[in-house]
Amino acid sequence: MVNVEEIRDYAANLLKKGEVKSVLGFRRGSASAFAEPCTITDVGEATSLVWDPTCLNNLTLYLVKDRKQQAAAKNPDNRPVGIVAKGCDSRAIGVLLQENYFKREDVVVIGVSCEGTGVVDPRKLSAKLKGRTASRVTFGGADGINVSVYGDETETVIPAREILADRCLECRAAVPALNDVVFGEAVGAREFDEPFHAAKEAESLSADERWATWEHHFDRCLRCFACRAVCPMCYCPECVVDSTTFVVTLGTSAEEKANRIRWCERSANTSESAVYHLTRTIHLAGRCIDCGECERVCPVNIPLRLLNTKLEKEAFEMFEYQAGHDIEQASLLSSFRDEDPNSFIR
Amino acid sequence: MSNPSKVTKAEDDTQGRASVAGARKPGATFEPRIVAFLCKWCSSAGSDLAGVSRIQYSANATPITIPCSGSVSPMYILSAFNKGADGVLISGCHPGDCHYMEGNYLARRKLYLVKELLQFIGLESERFRMSWVSAAEGAKFAEVVDEFVEDLRVLGPQNRLKAKR
Ligand code: SF4
Ligand code: SF4
Repeated sequence: MVNVEEIRDYAANLLKKGEVKSVLGFRRGSASAFAEPCTITDVGEATSLVWDPTCLNNLTLYLVKDRKQQAAAKNPDNRPVGIVAKGCDSRAIGVLLQENYFKREDVVVIGVSCEGTGVVDPRKLSAKLKGRTASRVTFGGADGINVSVYGDETETVIPAREILADRCLECRAAVPALNDVVFGEAVGAREFDEPFHAAKEAESLSADERWATWEHHFDRCLRCFACRAVCPMCYCPECVVDSTTFVVTLGTSAEEKANRIRWCERSANTSESAVYHLTRTIHLAGRCIDCGECERVCPVNIPLRLLNTKLEKEAFEMFEYQAGHDIEQASLLSSFRDEDPNSFIR
Repeated sequence: MSNPSKVTKAEDDTQGRASVAGARKPGATFEPRIVAFLCKWCSSAGSDLAGVSRIQYSANATPITIPCSGSVSPMYILSAFNKGADGVLISGCHPGDCHYMEGNYLARRKLYLVKELLQFIGLESERFRMSWVSAAEGAKFAEVVDEFVEDLRVLGPQNRLKAKR
C-alpha cells in the first residue's frame, strides 16, 4: 500500500531543500470524494496531498502549461517542478522528453503505483451508487475499491472491474517506469481486460455499422475542444484545425483570405468534426499514452479513446512501438523499418 | 501539356460536376472522382509517360504533384474526402528509390495508419489507395488508375466524409 505520509514527506523535503519550485499533486476536492489537481509551493501545504483512486487527472498537462508560462514570462523561473505521476502520466512525461519539450532535469517524477487496480470512472461510479454521492474512495487491494457514501460511512468493497476507468482495465504498465522515486508496490500482472480490448471489439463490426456509430458521434461533437485542451500532447500554440492567429480585419484582402488554407470549417457538423477528430487522432499517433483524459472531459461522452487506442494498437502490433516507453527512441512517425507493412500498396 | 490523356483542370472540373449531378440522376453512369497525389520524381513522370505513350486509361484522376510521397500530410487526404473526392490515391517511388532516401518509407508508415484509421471509422476500405509507380512505369500507372476507377464505380459516390454544404 502507498503510505500517503511518505509522499507528503517526500514533497515537503523537495520544497524544503529548494530542489523544486513547486509540486504538482492531488488534494481533496471541495465537493464529493474526488480529488482535484493542486500546485503546492509551501512546505506546509504538503500535508494536503492525497493519493487514492479518485486522482484521475494527468498532471503532465500542468507541466506543459508551466513551460508555456515560463516561456512567456519576463523573468522566467526555470527551476524544476515535482509531479505526482501514475503509470500513464509518467509515460506522458516520457513522450514530452522524447520530443524535447523539456529536459529530464526539469522535472522530478514522484511515481505512485496503482496498487494493481487503477482510478475510477466517475460515470461508472455514480451509476453504481444509483444517485448517492461517494464520500470516500480508497484502494482495496488487488481487485476491489472501497467506497463509502454520504450519510452512510460503512465501507463497501466494489469489484474494481465494475468501476475502474476503461483505460485502467486495459493498462499494461500500472507502475511509472520513468521516475525519481516510486511509492507503493509494483503490481505487474493484472487480470482485467486484455490490451486494446475495446478497440478490437469496435473493429469486429462491419464498415457500415462502424460508420453509423461514428457518424452519430461526429454529429454530436460540440467542437468545444475540451479534448484538445486537456491533452498534454496537444501543446501546439496554434491548432491546425482552428487558426487563432489569422485575424481577418478590414485590411485583409480577398486574396489573403483565399490563400489561407482552412483544412476544416469551425462549424460543428458531421463532416467537419470528422476532419477534426481524424486529424487529432493522427497527430497523436505514437504520442497518445492512453491517459483517457480526453474521453473523461468530453461533455457529450464521445468515446475518443477508441480512436487513439486503435492507432496505439497498430503501432504496437505492426511497428512494435509503444509511446513513452523509451525516451531515447525515435518517434513513431520519424522512423521506419524495412519490414513495415507493404502489401497494402499496389 | 505533353500528356494527351491527362485532363486539364478546367475539363476535369466540368466533368466532375457532371459526374456529381449524374450520380444523383437515376440511370446516368457515375464517374468517380479521384484525387491523385503523385511524387514529382516518379509517379508524376510515370503519368506523363502513360500520356506520351498514348496509353488509353480513365480520365477520372485529378493529379496533384507533390515533392515526395513522404510530404503527404494526412490532412491532404482528409481534406480531399471532405471536399467530395470519391477516392484518394497516393503514389510514390518504390522502396529504395526515394530521391530523398527515406521519404517513401516514412510515407508508408504514416499512410498505413491513415488507412487503418479511415477504415476504423467506417470509410469503405477501397477508397484510399497507395501505389509505387516509377517514372518508367507508365503502363502500371494507367492500370492502377483504371483498377481504382472500376472499384469506385462499384462503391458509388463517397458521401460519408463529404461536407454537406
Ligand atoms: S489523446 Fe487523450 S488519452 Fe491520449 S494523451 Fe491525449 S488526453 Fe491522454
Ligand atoms: S470534448 Fe467532446 S464535444 Fe468537445 S470537441 Fe472534444 S469530442 Fe467534441
